[in-house]
Amino acid sequence: MTTFVMGRTLGLLVCGHCRATVRGIGSRALCPRCGAPIHPRRPHSVATTAALLVSAAVLYVPANLLPVMHTHTFFSDDDDTIMSGVIALLHEGSWPLALLVFVASIVVPLLKLLAMGWLLFAVVRQSPGNALQRSKLFRLVEFIGRWSMLDVYAIALLVSLVQIRSLANIHAGLGALAFGAVVVLTMLAAQSFDERLLWDIPSDG
Amino acid sequence: MRCVRCRAELYQTNSAGVDSAVAVAISALVLLLLSNVYPLVALQLNGSVRTTTLIGAALGLYRQGYASIAALVLLTTVLIPLFQILSLLYVLLPLRLNRRAPGQNELFRALTHLRPWAMPEVFMLGALVALVKLAALAEVIPGIALFSYGALMLALSGLASITPTEQFWKWVEGSRA
Repeated sequence: MTTFVMGRTLGLLVCGHCRATVRGIGSRALCPRCGAPIHPRRPHSVATTAALLVSAAVLYVPANLLPVMHTHTFFSDDDDTIMSGVIALLHEGSWPLALLVFVASIVVPLLKLLAMGWLLFAVVRQSPGNALQRSKLFRLVEFIGRWSMLDVYAIALLVSLVQIRSLANIHAGLGALAFGAVVVLTMLAAQSFDERLLWDIPSDG
Repeated sequence: MRCVRCRAELYQTNSAGVDSAVAVAISALVLLLLSNVYPLVALQLNGSVRTTTLIGAALGLYRQGYASIAALVLLTTVLIPLFQILSLLYVLLPLRLNRRAPGQNELFRALTHLRPWAMPEVFMLGALVALVKLAALAEVIPGIALFSYGALMLALSGLASITPTEQFWKWVEGSRA
């Protein structure tokens, strides 16, 4: 089995930006190589992440309930929420795309909110658990977060293309605003979370 | 090389040099320019044709009173990629001549932080979804910018894999001599 030593026990810190290893220095130190501030743990990581996450959770409700798009054609007037957009894609026969949008717009934001909430809770309560699994979950959340922007881009294109006199018009809805905010806030929440906190939780064994 | 405890990637190594990074960055700049000059898609319905560009997509939202999402779209598809390419060139070109650009460290740090916020690959998928929805309504003609932006997506991911943060600082340390 491979063994490891933690830098902190040797008085070493690693620069969060350029990954230079620096011999133990006091607080408010700057990395000698790249000039970034070095901290043993990112300051106020839990509070910042929690604040961003709570804001995202609040906005998640209007993002899913309010219409993101209003379509006016000669024959009909339709309000589309994110979910009804998915169902429309399904009816048009493109189930792979419907699945893609469903995952990117509904599953991913929800997974991010639940997973980040659970990880934060574990850090605050210092509840012992499998740090490796938690770490992998965090990296998954960090990686998939940006894909939720997919719907925002689709709406932007539809809105700017479909403006054909009175024949067909598409307008953005307030839901799109809330949805965009959820994506940005959850991305910022993941960025401000210090993954190393997961490894600071004392284990049971 | 991975951490034995948490299996995270510790660092990436690659044999590409500053020259390849500069070459890819210049190609990316040209592709981004093309993507903004030509239309993305054209929509044909009852004899009237409507086209839009990348910036036009953001502008459409802005005109309907959604300035903040318009800004988000413009930033993540055009402005952040542009900043990434230009600042990388600004930092790398002097490095080739064993010089340092003023503000190099701050610029490269900003670049690293902004990396997840450039989303050409997400935009391409979003465009696909929009086009499928539109195909039910009218005739859709893909434009030059759609292809050049797809190529930009590849160039940017290539650029990111040539210039991981650790690699950049290795180049900086190498040029000190």
